[in-house]
Amino acid sequence: MKPNPNLDELLCSFMDGELSVRQRTEVQRMAAHDPAVARRLKQLEKSRAMISSLPMAEAPVDMLERIKESLERRTLLQDQPLPARRSAGAWHLAFRQLVSAAAVIALLGVLGVVVYQIVRPVPHGALLPLPDIGKRVSMSEAPRLVPSPVVVADAGFTGRLELRTHSLVHAGASVERAIEDSGLSGRVQPDIVNSRRVYQVVGTRESVNRFVASLSGAWSNFGAATLQMEGPDSAQPVVVESLTPEQAASIVAQNSTEASFEAAKGYAITNYMARNMPGGEIRPLIQDDSGTMTAMIVIPRPKETGPNDSVPASPVPHGKAQVSLTIVLLDAR
Amino acid sequence: MREAAYLRAVSINIDDSVLVQQSQTGDMMALERLILKYQSRIYNVILKMCGNADDAAELTQEAFVKVIESIEKFKGRSSFYTWLFRIAVNLTLNHCQRAARTATRSLDSEETDADGKTTQLLKEFLSDSSVADPAVLAQSRELCDLAKRSLLVLEEPQRAVVVLRDIEGMNYTQIADVLNIELGTVRSRLSRARSNLRDILESMVK
Repeated sequence: MKPNPNLDELLCSFMDGELSVRQRTEVQRMAAHDPAVARRLKQLEKSRAMISSLPMAEAPVDMLERIKESLERRTLLQDQPLPARRSAGAWHLAFRQLVSAAAVIALLGVLGVVVYQIVRPVPHGALLPLPDIGKRVSMSEAPRLVPSPVVVADAGFTGRLELRTHSLVHAGASVERAIEDSGLSGRVQPDIVNSRRVYQVVGTRESVNRFVASLSGAWSNFGAATLQMEGPDSAQPVVVESLTPEQAASIVAQNSTEASFEAAKGYAITNYMARNMPGGEIRPLIQDDSGTMTAMIVIPRPKETGPNDSVPASPVPHGKAQVSLTIVLLDAR
Repeated sequence: MREAAYLRAVSINIDDSVLVQQSQTGDMMALERLILKYQSRIYNVILKMCGNADDAAELTQEAFVKVIESIEKFKGRSSFYTWLFRIAVNLTLNHCQRAARTATRSLDSEETDADGKTTQLLKEFLSDSSVADPAVLAQSRELCDLAKRSLLVLEEPQRAVVVLRDIEGMNYTQIADVLNIELGTVRSRLSRARSNLRDILESMVK
């Protein structure tokens, strides 16, 4: 007889006592009248008997001890209950998120300080007050002038150069010599206020550039040099700290107020980063003019010129562009 | 050992729900009584399903550890009995699936071991003229071995249904609860399993 799944299901349920009384009676009637059904019922009963006759196996006698040991091992390994471990994991995750957030905030703070250092307004009294200086050095065009290669409409700029020194006398002598060498005549006398010497220099970019070139030889005598430069129109002044003679020359040599101001801003950023970045990674960038941000600024090196130097004609007269520089020597002691 | 036997004897008469309630309050004695009450039944079911005594002992231990760790979460929606067997059977089914290839190879290698006497015994048992007397079968170790082997040839879901019904003696509703399947599925799966068992046994005597 070919097995019939529906019949098998019915017969199995009959064997297992899972049928209603009416269904049981029906199956008994079928088995009594149909030998094939009776044979199939017997076959299925034998299948069941084979399995149910298997002897019951007893658990190992030390099962309870094994379970206790297993629990102890787990407790030792885990050290704390599951909810506590979940809680510790959540705390750990929260702590890491907090640290990440703090790191981001700290980074933003540092960047904010950098930006602020660059664009900060200079408060009154931040720089030393100057006495009213009536005398200005009026410069005529010097015959030894080395003009900038490109000259455009230029209103000049106003700046203040603070130089700290341990020897006001020697530094003053250097400044005065530089003024004389650059053709600013010997009429310049400093205003001496307390421990400061203040010089006022007004001249063309070329003459002031010669002054810076002349002063560069004595630059190592200055402990620190800071340039504060007024911005064009209503722009905030920019402060360049740790100014080098090359940077000063570059600022002066630009061909417009805006270009000088932009150059000063660029040096303010690079000098600030060089002072504050770990290891001074920016230093090589500042010193290397090729392919760097500072290379974008035209930096003519300060150059001493003698009376016999040939002077190329300037394509555009620029004698009206005046650079007003206040030089303040401060006692660093 | 004597204490364990005493505890087991006492526990059989205590309602599961009482022992569970006491266990949930941290009563270790109640937990031990539950373990002693069921350890052999669980071990027996697992052994018949996986066919290896060491694995069965390991899985029994693991099942009870899991029960102890989860006893606080047991809400009593089903009976403790079916909950306990559900944990044990699930662990065993997972284990069997992992070890399926090994188990099949082992069975295949033993298939040729049945001697002529055993084959003759089985043939007589399966013949239509004999009577299905479990007592007679139980006395024949060889037939028991064949029964165990035939059981292991069944697919795991069918094996689980047969073991729970014919060895543990669960009714269809309890089997459905343990395996988390419909009552109709229990019926059809069980009838297919018994039919397959018959085929497997007949193939052994050919």
